[in-house]
Amino acid sequence: MEDDRLSRWRRGFTTRSAAETERAGEELAGLLPEGATLLLGGDLGAGKTTLVRGLARGLGVEGDITSPTFALLAVHRGSRRQLLHVDAYRLAKPADLDGLLLDELARPPSNTVIEWPERVAGREPPGAWRLTIAAGTGDERRLQLAP
Amino acid sequence: MILAVESSCDESALALLAPDRGIVLERVSSQVELHRPHGGVVPDIASREHLAALPLLLREFAPRLGEVSTIAVTRGPGLPPCLSLGLAFARALAASTGARLVGVNHLRAHVHSPFIALHAENPAGFAAARRALLPHLGLVVSGGNTLLVRLGEDLGMTVVARTVDDAAGEALDKGAKLLGMAYPGGALVERAAQGGDATRFAFPRGIPERADLRMSFSGLKTALRYRLEGMDDAAVAAAMPDLCAGYQEAVIAQLEAKFRSALESGAYRSAGLSGGVANNRLLRARLAGVCARRDLPLRVAEPMHCGDNAGMVAFAALAEPGLPEGEAAAAEPSLGVETA
Repeated sequence: MEDDRLSRWRRGFTTRSAAETERAGEELAGLLPEGATLLLGGDLGAGKTTLVRGLARGLGVEGDITSPTFALLAVHRGSRRQLLHVDAYRLAKPADLDGLLLDELARPPSNTVIEWPERVAGREPPGAWRLTIAAGTGDERRLQLAP
Repeated sequence: MILAVESSCDESALALLAPDRGIVLERVSSQVELHRPHGGVVPDIASREHLAALPLLLREFAPRLGEVSTIAVTRGPGLPPCLSLGLAFARALAASTGARLVGVNHLRAHVHSPFIALHAENPAGFAAARRALLPHLGLVVSGGNTLLVRLGEDLGMTVVARTVDDAAGEALDKGAKLLGMAYPGGALVERAAQGGDATRFAFPRGIPERADLRMSFSGLKTALRYRLEGMDDAAVAAAMPDLCAGYQEAVIAQLEAKFRSALESGAYRSAGLSGGVANNRLLRARLAGVCARRDLPLRVAEPMHCGDNAGMVAFAALAEPGLPEGEAAAAEPSLGVETA
């Protein structure tokens, strides 16, 4: 069952509304191994924060999930796991990721999401999952997890 | 005298405030020419930039350290390594001067910042003058925050409304990016919007229900993205003033509407505007209009106290009782506006 769901993510699928993208994020929370980092790629307005909002719900986080672009980092306590939400958009260079001290902030069980992973190329944690979200026609979004 | 240290994000800053006069000296690293081969400071998230900048800024303050009785330092919200460095710097100053150390909440300092000038006008009469303006509704709007806060007669703060996703300043900055401008480009959108027709392109108003005070700005950039996909480069260039005016209008109309609804739902004796986006002239004018119709004083923070700065941190140490002192002034990266 879990393998079926995971293989659907690997093949890729399309959501047709922001609410559906959020539900997909919630499902992903159940598939992501504890401790794993999710590298979340996609253009401005693609729906990355919407997906993270669903993921946060799935990890038992209550309250608003606001964009951490300016602050670079938001730490959320969830009833299932902690979520470290990183937005690398403003990082000047990949090595700046080290300056966020993610390892010190992590209180396992936890997961980390990094938006704009191309800004931290070469510094990704080993074993990170890579998800791309791409805009289609209208509210359609194509989600695919790299193998 | 109060010496304040700010290092919560990109800017390193120091300020000196005399309780009987107001702010007497303040410096922000981005304004200061650091004597390096490649010129001034490059804003960087890394705490090493604060480590380099703070001691250089301190040189100008050093002759007056003997007069300092309180060191105020931003303890949150902000980036953990940057906050820790600022606190370590402030603790060292407190230890070497014998001054007491107080921790300041950066967001609460923004809420207090529209009162800085009120204090400077008449320091002795400040407490009474402020009391006459409470309760106060403050709109803090920046690249990282969009909050309506009630400052009560007991100086307690309550969140009245906030964004559920992007900050208003972020919506402007990211809109600028989608329009091909530099990032962050909120101020460029304002400039390009001048003379534009704000009615030609309609953009969504977040959460339009009047009774719902929540704000939302993330759908706006998606709407702009859809709009631009249907236009070629020449059409975008030709329509730039109208696109910018329409987009900016959507941000400001939402802020204005929620500000007005919040004023209607509470008894306030003044309102305030602060944070980086408070420098937007259209926003200032629109909120001034709302307040003028209600005969309510609107206090707007001075431009130098809208972005990250230490002047407001020094002022918060004066304006707010019960701040955490000494060891209790610990770094708190996720500090909310309702906690001192």
